[in-house]
Amino acid sequence: MLQSFDKPATAPANPRAEWMALLARAPLPLLEQGLADHTQSTPQWLRRPETGLMMVQGRVGGAGEKFNLGEMTVTRCALRLAAANTSDPALKDTPVGVAYVMGRNHRHAQLAAVADALLQTPAEWPVLEQRLLAPLRAHVQAGQTRRHAQAQTTKVDFLTVAREASGGDEEESS
Amino acid sequence: MNAQSMQSMVAGFDNEAFGSQAVFRVALQALSHPGQILTMPMDAQLPQSGHGAAALLLLGLLDADTTLWMSESLAQSDAAAWLRFHTGCLCVSDPHEAQFLWLAQGQDQSQTQGHGQGQDPNWPALAQLRHGSDAYPDQSATCVIEVQSLQAGASGWVLQGPGIATQQTLQVQGLAADFLAQWADNHGRFPQGVDVFLTTPTQVVGLPRTTRILNSQEA
Repeated sequence: MLQSFDKPATAPANPRAEWMALLARAPLPLLEQGLADHTQSTPQWLRRPETGLMMVQGRVGGAGEKFNLGEMTVTRCALRLAAANTSDPALKDTPVGVAYVMGRNHRHAQLAAVADALLQTPAEWPVLEQRLLAPLRAHVQAGQTRRHAQAQTTKVDFLTVAREASGGDEEESS
Repeated sequence: MNAQSMQSMVAGFDNEAFGSQAVFRVALQALSHPGQILTMPMDAQLPQSGHGAAALLLLGLLDADTTLWMSESLAQSDAAAWLRFHTGCLCVSDPHEAQFLWLAQGQDQSQTQGHGQGQDPNWPALAQLRHGSDAYPDQSATCVIEVQSLQAGASGWVLQGPGIATQQTLQVQGLAADFLAQWADNHGRFPQGVDVFLTTPTQVVGLPRTTRILNSQEA
């Protein structure tokens, strides 16, 4: 899937996709803080954290031909939140949390998956939305604003040059 | 994979390294001693459909570079999602393209009689599968067939060939009536041909292409 990171979609179509993207970019301290007491629980692993390479593809301007940008290190895991009794029939209903994060930090992948599982539980969602997702959104937004401001300092206005060039073209073609 | 099948997903091997090594050891043992009934070590969480021994065998053998064909009943079940999730294998719809095949036991074993007893009617014949070439006989298919029961008994088959000192007896229930004819054809293609594992929920028997099968009456 190709995604533009600097221009977030106006209305996120799928809330889970939005929070998974946020969790993948979350710094560890914010995750630990937001999940509070859930960080200590031992999950039931479906897939233990494993690190591998993924090919990142890009398109020039988001519209050109696809090309391979390069490989990046990705850590992924899948887990189910621990239940007191494993033979519990209600276990099937506890949501599965999945995380794909950049880098080699297994703890980051685990916490992101725990948060994903909790966010799918309707009772937990409002609490976590406020305690975890809101700070993360602010963090990602702040990062984007800072990068934008940095880029703006190097901006050059080519308006005048463009006008002259286009005027010249018109004369030639007529 | 959709969210639904993810929700009912169970874990794979309890310990990935030791679990897959134990399964691989059983597979080696089965193919080097054709007809010997081996018990599969069950240290994993298994899907609900399919035989446990067959699921474990494939979990140990498959990876992201292998292709798998499954019987209709298995392809729709949690077993398919489970194998896809844990091994990353590619599921194909044409049996001829598959490197591994998982053939389910038929649903109505008690009703069918004679031909195809207890067997899924949609099983592809062994002759339809990949046989490799004379230059690359290793590029053939490996077929995991679920059967009703496996017993070492004198009234069934008599096996001969590499890996068997004199002869090995085996009684199998739940295979197609023409399986012996298919097998004779498969054996005749050597060095090409497919290798077969027969499984019950807990046991495995290997039938490499080098093995000759005779009915006990003929032997």
